[in-house]
Amino acid sequence: MIHFFQVYKTYPGNIDALADISFSVDDGEFVFVTGPSGAGKTTLLKLMIRAEQPDRGEILVNGRNVARLKNSQIPPLRREVGFVFQDFKLLHYKTVYANIALVLEALGHKQKDISKRIRQVLRVVRLDERVMKQTPVKISGGEQQRVAIARALVNAPSILLADEPTGNLDPRLTVEIIDLLERINEFGTTVLVATHDTSLVAKYRKRALTLDRGRLVA
Amino acid sequence: MRENGLNHLLSIGTIATSFFLFGSFLLLAQNFGSFLGSWEKKVQIILYLKDGVSETEVLRLQERLRDEEGIENIRYISKRDALEVFKEDLAGYGGVLDGLKEEFFPASLEMMVGSDFRTPEQIRALATRLNKTPQVEEAQYGGLWLERLSVVLYILKWGSWVLGAVLVMIIVSVTANTVRLTLYNKGEEIEILKLVGASETVVTVPFYLEGGLQGFLGATGSLVLLFFIFHIFSLKVSPFLSLYFGQLRLSFLPIELVAAILGVGMISGLLGGIVSVRKAWGT
Repeated sequence: MIHFFQVYKTYPGNIDALADISFSVDDGEFVFVTGPSGAGKTTLLKLMIRAEQPDRGEILVNGRNVARLKNSQIPPLRREVGFVFQDFKLLHYKTVYANIALVLEALGHKQKDISKRIRQVLRVVRLDERVMKQTPVKISGGEQQRVAIARALVNAPSILLADEPTGNLDPRLTVEIIDLLERINEFGTTVLVATHDTSLVAKYRKRALTLDRGRLVA
Repeated sequence: MRENGLNHLLSIGTIATSFFLFGSFLLLAQNFGSFLGSWEKKVQIILYLKDGVSETEVLRLQERLRDEEGIENIRYISKRDALEVFKEDLAGYGGVLDGLKEEFFPASLEMMVGSDFRTPEQIRALATRLNKTPQVEEAQYGGLWLERLSVVLYILKWGSWVLGAVLVMIIVSVTANTVRLTLYNKGEEIEILKLVGASETVVTVPFYLEGGLQGFLGATGSLVLLFFIFHIFSLKVSPFLSLYFGQLRLSFLPIELVAAILGVGMISGLLGGIVSVRKAWGT
């Protein structure tokens, strides 16, 4: 479950990123967060993993009061929430396998378990195992985004946040990625997708939270 | 460390150079100290007696000196003995010395200084006191140069520790900068690790270890180089110096000091890593 109660966030220079945001997302829901650039979509997602701290209000994610977490309590929260970035954030000097393994290694998994999990997650995102040995620069944009999703999923999070996951992809790949996220949601993962593309919302007929200049308008 | 190899190598080299300087000072102070110690054992005072001091007066003076604290092995050198010693020392000059008469040489009393009286201050005080004896023309002691060398030793010892303190600051600064560079290079990886929920320990400890390892490797490198140079010096230069200063017994730094240098290197490096990470993340 995700709950926002009257959340405010202002950036230096008195820029209101978010104001009076309240909403709830149930477990297993698929929700689009839409709005034009600068509406506050990314800030909203970042608040859920405490990459940003709200100025006011309360945020509950899986029962944790995110706004009041101590620094030592942030890593356990983030292990339950996968995050997919618009720019993929893949390490160009590591192979696809190493990019995904990085997460599990940091969380203390054994190599045998890492190998097994990576093969499983690659099947989920429908990537051929042959890409494992490639570096990200040698695969297509669509494949890179699938790797980024695989990395976010490999630790089996209960919530998946995707920030403009199709922002750099052509329409065909966009549909493929949203279909993939929809399939992941069908396995029970709560999915929130931030996108400025309103046509996606119309096409997939999912619940949408619409932001405009930091305020929730629908 | 692989991605940033050259910087690490430079950092380790700088640490090694700093430790080499420190180790050289310590090694010099240690061997200089033992050299002075061996010479202190040989320190003697010579009392040159005034002309006309009778044998009886000399015997009485010897008696009195035996009761004096800090004086051992008193030996009387008469005018004749002094001439004989002189002739023996300059035997190669043959006939030139034939005309010398014993009147030209002062009689003297030579004495060793007791082991509890061998500091430069004690030797000087004793010689000054003996110089005031009525039968004595002049009291000479070989302690003046010893006194000067003791000052050098004092400077060397304290210099080493001052250098050591400066060195720790250098190591902390050098490793902090190298670790900071690694932090910068790995910024994206660190950001990803933090976002996927890696604990602070998992993210930071490798950087602490990197600093510690640099310090340790730098200290090890300096000790290896120092030992190599010490070994060459012992083999090639030491026999030559022995001709002038007597048998030199050189020794390398004791194992405790070697362990301490390695420990200080590692801890300073570790501190550099911690400083850098804390500065970068403000934690």
